[in-house]
Amino acid sequence: MAAPAVKAAGGWPILALSLRSGVRRLPGLTQVRWSRYGPEYKDPRIDKEYYRKPLAELTEEEKYEQELRKTQLIKAAPAAKTSSVFEDPVISKFTNMMMKGGNKVLARSLMMQTLEAVKRKQFEKYHAASAEEQATIERNPYVIFHQALQNCEPVIGLVPILRGGHFYQVPVPLADRRRRFLAMKWMIKECREKKHRRMLMPEKLSHELLEAFHNQGPVIKKKHDMHKMAEANRALAHYRWW
Amino acid sequence: TMLRRMTRLLSGARQARHGEQHAALHYHIPLQDLKTVFPQGLPPRFIMQVKTFNEACLMVRKPALELLHYLKNTNFAHPAVRYVLYGEKGTGKTLSLCHVVHFCAKQDWLILHIPDAHLWVKNCRGLLQSSYNKQRFDQPVEASIWLKNFKTANERFLSQIKVQEKYVWNKRESTEKGSPLGAVVEQGLTRVRNATDAVGIVLKELKNQSCLGAFHLLVAVDGVNALWGRTSLKREDKSLIAPEELALVCSLRKMVRNDWHGGAIVLTLSQTGSLFKPRKAYLPQELLGKEGFDALDPFIPILVSNYNPKEFESCIQYYLENKWLQHEKAHTEEGKKELLFLSDANPGQLERLCAYL
Repeated sequence: MAAPAVKAAGGWPILALSLRSGVRRLPGLTQVRWSRYGPEYKDPRIDKEYYRKPLAELTEEEKYEQELRKTQLIKAAPAAKTSSVFEDPVISKFTNMMMKGGNKVLARSLMMQTLEAVKRKQFEKYHAASAEEQATIERNPYVIFHQALQNCEPVIGLVPILRGGHFYQVPVPLADRRRRFLAMKWMIKECREKKHRRMLMPEKLSHELLEAFHNQGPVIKKKHDMHKMAEANRALAHYRWW
Repeated sequence: TMLRRMTRLLSGARQARHGEQHAALHYHIPLQDLKTVFPQGLPPRFIMQVKTFNEACLMVRKPALELLHYLKNTNFAHPAVRYVLYGEKGTGKTLSLCHVVHFCAKQDWLILHIPDAHLWVKNCRGLLQSSYNKQRFDQPVEASIWLKNFKTANERFLSQIKVQEKYVWNKRESTEKGSPLGAVVEQGLTRVRNATDAVGIVLKELKNQSCLGAFHLLVAVDGVNALWGRTSLKREDKSLIAPEELALVCSLRKMVRNDWHGGAIVLTLSQTGSLFKPRKAYLPQELLGKEGFDALDPFIPILVSNYNPKEFESCIQYYLENKWLQHEKAHTEEGKKELLFLSDANPGQLERLCAYL
């Protein structure tokens, strides 16, 4: 190991620091984690309730954790993550996926206009419906959004696996986060490509979300197509080794 | 029902008795009235809200109450008093103006409501050279739209008021002395080339005849700083047009001068549509400029500010009653504190926030 050329800052043991820089310089080794933070940095906790609990209510492990965090290094919280009551991780993820060229302002405003459009359409339907139907009509745009994305998630997916020089599409169970990602990706792709040139994104997105909420529409059809392909390639399931 | 709807007042029929105790409560305007009194002039987001809720509710606030108090005690023998509503963006100047207009319409005044004077000084397609005065320019499109809305708002006065002079439009058409004002309006609507002149005639006649006392005249102009600012219109040789060279602007300026009696003038300043003014400007001196301020000089300024805590609470209650705030956390104290912080009690911002929550 090379002699440590860096000074330890903040009283950290020199060994840990130089181990990190030594690993970076070794040839033939690529870093698996791309973030600039070392492994000793912990994730920040954003919720207000965690910090507002009075000392008496904390359990032993929570007290230990709080003591530990006083001296540990903690990563900086991302700017988009707030301690607001109205924050929703799914909506934030969807907004980030809709963003183009780093224009978060535009993506966020499009998302807000979409939610407003969904709400207004549902209110119109509500006022036009009779008393029994009014109980069934859902007016909360967040509920509609979450339900629509849940309805669009595929249960099983296809993965290209190389066997004997050819790639075969093998049906494979998907992880939760892959499913959510696929649902959001299909929704955004559908709304960007299959719309009239003059139609705006909020209008199209609100229409697609409402259709997906009722289990109709092109995104649900895409999910069913994926399921059918997986069913058709059932015989190749042996190629999966995990 | 009175207990359940604590933020609602009884219907608009009793609005003549709006007093201090009614501050921060909402009052209901029947939709039929909305179509006759306001064919134009309501802010677009308010129209969307009316369409969504199937009802129109305005909050009674201090500036509007003050104005109503002054209007109730106007002395019609004195020259018309000018009231100027000013304030930052989104505080509710246009809606206060609409409240006052609705009140006067209910009291049977003749309403001369120009929804946005900025629309007359920018983005005009058809500019014609005026036949009446060679230096000025006509705007047929804007004039005809305004005449149509004026007709809807004041149907019953058009047959009562008689024209006091003979007007010759061209070789074949003329309006005789003593014919009803409706004839002039019809002429302006059918012959679009003469629409601007028709508007000018209507304004002149109303100004002369309001002194006689047959009716009370309310002149309500939104965005009056457009009349003394700059325009973005160009002649064919790409040289800029000053507002003095537009016939509509000239006739409006004559209307807003206080050399007539028998009514009142209520004006609103607006930075949102204005040309070449900084975004943070809201004071009369900044928006009107020296020329405008001198022209309007003895006026009563009324500041329209953000919601005070009682009004904010009332607004949130109104949205909750109409089930507009659908987010679960919006009902809690934490949610309300957050809304207050994010919108800074600005009515426009609060409305936009609650739209997606």
